[in-house]
Amino acid sequence: MRKITILSISFIVLGILLFVYRMFNKPHTDVLNTKANVEMTAIELFTYFDTNEDSATIKYSDQIIVVSGVLHSKDLSNELEPQILIKTNEDDGFIRCGFKPEYLNNINSLKESSTIKVKGICKGLNGDDDLELLSDKDVVLSSSILIE
Amino acid sequence: MKKTIIYSLLFTIATAFTTHSGGIYKTNTGNINFYSHTPVEDITADNHKVKTAFSAENGKIQFSCLIKDFEFKKALMQEHFNENYMESTTYPKATFDGTISSISTIDLGKDGTYTSPVVGKLTIKDVTKDVTTLGTFTVKNGLVNAKATFNLNPYDYNVSIPKMVAPKISDSIKISIDIDYTHQH
Repeated sequence: MRKITILSISFIVLGILLFVYRMFNKPHTDVLNTKANVEMTAIELFTYFDTNEDSATIKYSDQIIVVSGVLHSKDLSNELEPQILIKTNEDDGFIRCGFKPEYLNNINSLKESSTIKVKGICKGLNGDDDLELLSDKDVVLSSSILIE
Repeated sequence: MKKTIIYSLLFTIATAFTTHSGGIYKTNTGNINFYSHTPVEDITADNHKVKTAFSAENGKIQFSCLIKDFEFKKALMQEHFNENYMESTTYPKATFDGTISSISTIDLGKDGTYTSPVVGKLTIKDVTKDVTTLGTFTVKNGLVNAKATFNLNPYDYNVSIPKMVAPKISDSIKISIDIDYTHQH
């Protein structure tokens, strides 16, 4: 009887330790293999944030989003995170998608003004009306991958 | 007609002699790193999508970055940082509004390395504090790299850290900035 009790307690302790270890070392969200929470156009996503930033941040930040639109430009100035800009209906508003450096070749193959589809984790709206030098705005996606 | 020709010529000459020393320098891909060191644990995170610009005319310099865009090595750490400490859905951005004090001593038209104090107001979690640091500006081929470091105390910005994890988080977090600016207009 005593042996069974000791064995049971050992299993429970081991289970707890394993759970804590796995929680502590859980991986980052795998965008490639995780289903998107929502799919929309770049214009729709930007408009949500531009119209009501607080509500859009609550609704869409940290969500995996598939965004479709027309490629405005590539921004490869930071080799640690190559980025692309997707057009919206605002001249100074874009969807800014950041990629892991290993996707650089895929980005280089993109043609400007082509229609693309990108999946990434939405981080929010960067830019601030109170900062006159930074009044242009980007809805930011991170850990992005190209779908089309 | 003669007047128009003269004005056009003057404009052309003026444009020809204009270097990239004026106007706005900007990027949306700046780097900010923060580093917390304690005997228990070292914590570091990076943001590579910092929006920042400065005016070559008056030295005004501004930053805006998304808190959720700081990437940690460990996903759980990133989750705790955003949800428990920074409440980044409620306070999504950190901003800095300041001045490069000695902008007039930086020759943006000539390659070289220059230093200048940078003073301004840093806002995190709706708390605004004065920050002063020394910026190093390296001009090369029309591009300007800016580097600066300063330390901040998270408790000054209403970052509430539970007692249990407090020994793991420094009360003097090192912020390192590394930005490549390009001339805009």
